[in-house]
Amino acid sequence: MEHASLASSAAAAHAGLHADPSEHAPQPSFWPILLAGGMGAVVFFVFLVYLGVPLAGILLAAAILGSLVAASGWANTIAVERRRMDPVQTNKDLTRGFFFFLASEAMIFVSYFEYLYYTHFTSAQWPPAGMPRLETTLPGIATLILVGSSFTLNWGIHAFLSGRKSAAKNWILLTIAMGIVFLGMQGFEWGFLNGVMGFTITTGAYSAAYFLMTGFHGAHVTVGLIMLGLVYWRMEKGEYTQQYHMSLKAAEYYWHFVDIVWVFLFFSLYLFQGH
Amino acid sequence: MSTQVATAGTIQPRQYHGVLDWITTTDHKKIGIMYIVFALINAWFGGSLAGMIRLNLYNPDWHLFSPQLYNQLMTMHATIMIFLVLMAAFAGFGNYLVPLMIGARDMAFPKLNAFSFWLLMPAAMMLYGSFFVAGGAAADGWWSYPPLSTAQFSAGHGEDLWILAVLLLGISSIMGAINFLVTVIDMRAPGMTWMKLPLFVWSWVVTAWMLVLAVPVLSGALFMLLSDRWLNTGFYRPALGGDPLLYQHLFWFFGHPEVYIMILPGFGMISHIIPAMSRKKLFGYKGMVMAMWSIGIIGFTVWAHHMFTAGISSTARVYFSMASMLISVPTGVKIYSWLASVWGGVIRFTTAMKFALGFIFTFVLGGLSGLMLAVVPFDILVHNTYFVVAHFHYVLVGGSVMTLFAGTYYWFPKITGRMLSEKLGSWIFWLFFIGLNWVFMPMHLLGIEGMARRVANYRIEFRPLNQFISEGFIFMLAAGLLFTYSVIKALREPKSAGDDPWQTNEIETHFEWATSSPPPAYNFEEIPEIQ
Repeated sequence: MEHASLASSAAAAHAGLHADPSEHAPQPSFWPILLAGGMGAVVFFVFLVYLGVPLAGILLAAAILGSLVAASGWANTIAVERRRMDPVQTNKDLTRGFFFFLASEAMIFVSYFEYLYYTHFTSAQWPPAGMPRLETTLPGIATLILVGSSFTLNWGIHAFLSGRKSAAKNWILLTIAMGIVFLGMQGFEWGFLNGVMGFTITTGAYSAAYFLMTGFHGAHVTVGLIMLGLVYWRMEKGEYTQQYHMSLKAAEYYWHFVDIVWVFLFFSLYLFQGH
Repeated sequence: MSTQVATAGTIQPRQYHGVLDWITTTDHKKIGIMYIVFALINAWFGGSLAGMIRLNLYNPDWHLFSPQLYNQLMTMHATIMIFLVLMAAFAGFGNYLVPLMIGARDMAFPKLNAFSFWLLMPAAMMLYGSFFVAGGAAADGWWSYPPLSTAQFSAGHGEDLWILAVLLLGISSIMGAINFLVTVIDMRAPGMTWMKLPLFVWSWVVTAWMLVLAVPVLSGALFMLLSDRWLNTGFYRPALGGDPLLYQHLFWFFGHPEVYIMILPGFGMISHIIPAMSRKKLFGYKGMVMAMWSIGIIGFTVWAHHMFTAGISSTARVYFSMASMLISVPTGVKIYSWLASVWGGVIRFTTAMKFALGFIFTFVLGGLSGLMLAVVPFDILVHNTYFVVAHFHYVLVGGSVMTLFAGTYYWFPKITGRMLSEKLGSWIFWLFFIGLNWVFMPMHLLGIEGMARRVANYRIEFRPLNQFISEGFIFMLAAGLLFTYSVIKALREPKSAGDDPWQTNEIETHFEWATSSPPPAYNFEEIPEIQ
């Protein structure tokens, strides 16, 4: 390394920060340890529910509630602190962190796709003997709806950025509606396969992969819908400006991510069946 | 959102006192210290398990532990040492040093940082608690391969708790890694361009990338395993069309990058210590950065060399064998650059330097046995024997632990303001260095002779060598005791270390040695700058 010398003398012996308050100067907080404890409790109580321990369900509900309170308290602290700090920098940090988070999410899906393709190519026929071929018409329509919802969301954001707030809210509402319809169609298919076809999560490796992948994706759609709901609420309250709307962008990226994963999923599970 | 006009003044963190101070802190320095202390405590637990293993193997006729309990000890020894000691210790040094080294006030997400640390607690409680549930702790090795880990063969709930704990640890690692990446990308001091980053920071950038991309795959694999156990699905059950081999692929797709996750930050530390103690600038900075990236990237493409005997095709064996050997090239670049950094220097044989040079010796031995294991015919011969145990202990103890000792001796004055005793340090180094070679070197022989790993008993002719190994453990234990004593003793002394006790900045400027020891809240009075 070719470091030049330090420009300024660094810290003096006395502590403290002689600078403008917009600088990155974190304060102590109770929320991280509460959320960590809450999440640990959620995981442990899920285990107790699995063991059938009495009252475990109530404990689990309490732990989930506690975690949600901790998460909201945390979010609120961030919102308060950001008023003091440099918003451009904070938003840049959060956006970048969110992208890395999405990368790690993508890797979870990669492990499931790896599972699916490995099983696909090592089994003598596909779908495996005794397994139904998945119907593609209804899922095809659901795919179009979900892909379409990415467009409606983008139109909504475009409308917001060009100052048409009520149009933006309508587009976001439409996006949420389309997401709910998608989940409904998915639920219908699950019910059909489970109830009518006798194709359940324990039928075989193939059905397990099907329910895991669609279920995990469905959970992500649900989270995306919650995010869009929060975005709608904040837009209603007028908390977004043309310049600062970090959570709007985050919801947008998340929704597109969920959408792209589904396109791969649709191809891998539904279209790529014959061989 | 309002954008208030900044007014000049002094910002102090709100003060809590005593325990509250520690549990509410978002200061990267305090979180780093908590990680390191947590790792040291767990090293005692994990080390005790190792001691129990060695005691059992000293004379299996004593029947100290049932084979089932022995397997629990061995599984938990690995899990604790990997997740709660090595990863936590490197995360601790990373937390403490990365913001200091890049001239930042803190990590980008200070609360997320605290969250990552505190998430270790429920995970550790579940791991240790699992010894006390019916059936005891997980007993199927830290890989947790099905079918051994299925409900049929691991009926005890220790296995469930193990899976849940590792899932929590995964969340902690991923969040920590995201934090490191954003911090280094966004919060470098003015003038600190990428190719001026200190190498420890670079090593954490590569490590964090590997964590973000590798750990989720383990989570996915474990989630399917848990589903097989709880929901009776067929992900890994051949009768239902599943394949246990696939678990191995997914596990090692995480597991091999994990190996580098546990050594790269150590490489970074050594790259600071050797130049500082040789009174020279580091040789080949760019080559070192490239080498770390090469290791990080190639590390994702070699996983099936852990599966040569698991039934993969011969084509795959050839590929994974050659790709694994390829890793020795960037590793060699690093070794030679360190040696060239020492060459012609004014060497100070401080304890940190002793551990650093000792590390090069032991790590090269571990690397060489790794090359041997990458050769398929040899691997088939010695797989699942003590040769493998010898190899990975040479890289994890001779590699990671040695770098952690070196790093502790080097940065302890910065973190605490006090010096560790060099006199005791010399004793600790020699005890540990002799002990680890004493314990792990003969394991190569045992392995070649055919002694199986992960078994509580062995054939009678292996007894003399096993007893020899168990005696060597006393040296490592003595080093651990003396080290802990030395740390406690140093903490009771006055803070007299000074800002730059190793005179590092006379050779080359490093921000962490430019601030006081220990650094004040928010690290720097003014953000430093590189011209």
